Amino acid sequence: MRLKKTSIALVSALSLVVGLAVLPAANAATTVKMVLWPGPEGDAMQKVVDAYNTSQGKKDGVTVKMILLSRDNTFAKEAALMKSKSSEYDIYFTASYLVGQHAPYLSDLKGVKDSLYLKASVNSLKVAGKQKALPLDTSLHFMYYRKDLIASLSANAAKYTSIAKEVLGKDLKPNTNPATWSWDDALATAAFFTQKYNPDSPTKYGYALPAKNLLYNTMIWNDVLWGLGGNWLKNGKPNLNTATGKAAIDVYNTIYTKGLTSPESSQWEYAETNSALTSGNAAMALQWNAAYSELSTTGATKDQVGIAAPPGKGARTHVHALAVGLNKFSKNQAASAKWMAYLATVPAMKKYATAGGVPSMPSILTGMVAKNASFANIIEYAGKYGYSESAGAREFDIYAALAEVLSPAWSGQKTSSDVAAAADAAIQKLL
Amino acid sequence: MSVTFNKERKVAGWLLSAPLLLMLAALLIWPVYLGVKTSFTHDVLSEFATYGAGFENYKNLIHQPNFWLSLRFTLLYAFIATVAEVILGFALALLFDRVFPGKRVLFSLMLVPIMIAPSLMAVMYRLILNENIGIIPGFLQRIGINFSIFDQHNVFASLIVLDLLEFTAFTFLLSYSALQNMPSEIYEAAAIDGANARQVLTRVVLPMLKPAIAIIFLLRILDSIRTFDSVFILTGGGPGTTTQTVGIYIYKTAFIYGDFGLAASAAVVLVLLLAPFMPSIIKQFNLNQGGGK
Repeated sequence: MRLKKTSIALVSALSLVVGLAVLPAANAATTVKMVLWPGPEGDAMQKVVDAYNTSQGKKDGVTVKMILLSRDNTFAKEAALMKSKSSEYDIYFTASYLVGQHAPYLSDLKGVKDSLYLKASVNSLKVAGKQKALPLDTSLHFMYYRKDLIASLSANAAKYTSIAKEVLGKDLKPNTNPATWSWDDALATAAFFTQKYNPDSPTKYGYALPAKNLLYNTMIWNDVLWGLGGNWLKNGKPNLNTATGKAAIDVYNTIYTKGLTSPESSQWEYAETNSALTSGNAAMALQWNAAYSELSTTGATKDQVGIAAPPGKGARTHVHALAVGLNKFSKNQAASAKWMAYLATVPAMKKYATAGGVPSMPSILTGMVAKNASFANIIEYAGKYGYSESAGAREFDIYAALAEVLSPAWSGQKTSSDVAAAADAAIQKLL
Repeated sequence: MSVTFNKERKVAGWLLSAPLLLMLAALLIWPVYLGVKTSFTHDVLSEFATYGAGFENYKNLIHQPNFWLSLRFTLLYAFIATVAEVILGFALALLFDRVFPGKRVLFSLMLVPIMIAPSLMAVMYRLILNENIGIIPGFLQRIGINFSIFDQHNVFASLIVLDLLEFTAFTFLLSYSALQNMPSEIYEAAAIDGANARQVLTRVVLPMLKPAIAIIFLLRILDSIRTFDSVFILTGGGPGTTTQTVGIYIYKTAFIYGDFGLAASAAVVLVLLLAPFMPSIIKQFNLNQGGGK
């Protein structure tokens, strides 16, 4: 009898302890872990996460925790996690050029309102017709130039023509409207602002060429190819070993071998290109839209930086979207979906834009032109000139392979004829 | 009695070594096993399924010109950098093997580079050598020297010099410690025999320190062959693949091209290439310790 009483007491005490332990857990919010990379995107997203966690997240029973991996190696770390079918993170950071590679590890997203987004951005995140990721930032390219320098061209027409003849072997007249530049105009202007040809030039070099063996540099070079009417593929076959493909390679080759850019630009990428412009060493460059904030407020380009679409017979700019996708192996699918539904709303993306992001929603960008003048250009160029390569699951790999094959020609070690066939072979191997 | 004692000693030995052996198994043997296993599978990021591929990855690797080019670059880079670092490190150790004012401060300063992570050093170099905003190019331009450090014609030499700046401290430290262990009687005997400084160096010091120098050389060359971070940050392996190390090749194959199987096979081949060095290191180490006791 005594034993029975003791047993009942013990069981009751145990139940109480277990009950008390379980009670807070039952009421606790589900934690959703999301990967992003550090920098302006991570900073801006933190503001959105904080706002969600203190308002809508409480109603949803969800707490979002953002994990910033390194900017250089976020995708490498994610690749290892995806391949091991990890559930460590619920939401992965991805991009339109990678979504084909990531698609097998991402859940399909339902209910994304295409009409809210830039068409090029939202469509670039679809794989086999299914939405695999939610667009965040839109990235494209601008031709940045020094307005003060370009304005001085007309007064030096004879000198300009003479330099153009010397460097390019062509009779050209100054074109002070970069929006209508052909690549010949751009190269002749770059030569005019290179001290090697024009000792009076205020800049040492006319152009800042990001020619490092880096896949993001291939994206920039791709604008030259598309601007000249080319493409990676024609009828599903590689198409770089052609007159247009070689001409596009020759544009970079000419800039480098004629000394219109620094000899060191064979190792340049985003940061060095920016520093060449802000230090007053270079007069123009094709560069990412993200550079606008720095260029418009810093050094020699402060208040003097102009924006135009990339040169070419028909201007074209690469467009990609940074995005987030739902890990297929996440154990918090429902909670993650709630957070992503919030992220897809206009108020959430407005917070993101206010904090420094460049969301892919035209309505938000239009409303913030006063804060960042380049937002107007993003909407215009993405709509008018935007393109994205559609090479399927291996698109990211092709960008990297082309950087490897083409960068020796960009930096004058090889000619376009040396590398064009190898470029086609590299594409073919990855298709 | 003796048999029981020996058995107990053996058991105690295994028990005491167990934590270390378990750690070794978890941190070394298991990852190596997984790496070798991956090298025999078709394991591509863009394809969900993974399946056995036999020697397919190894066959593919043999036909990858980039792998052989990166191997060639790596061996050349490692050999030149190591030889230069061993010579420089030893020369500096000889300089420091005497008493002079400020020696302690200088000695500490000499060791600073090995305390900084190579990736951090590379980022620092990228900033201070940046043609547009860097201190060194700015200074060179001011004194009228127009030299492009990362011009494609100079990039190999620049990478070697940057490697020297970081790792000569390592060879210096080991050489200095070897010199400190030389008995002073030997120098005295050489002086009595009338040997001059050059003779002491070439006929006494160098022959006696040969095993130590061999170890320094082998340790350093093994480390150089694994070079990844500094070159990756400074050049990305380019232009093209001209400065691509095997480490960069493996990284790109796995994490850019998403081909884990091929990358693992390249890593296995690299290990097999490095493995023959190990008995030499162990042999030299035993010699240095007094004949393999």
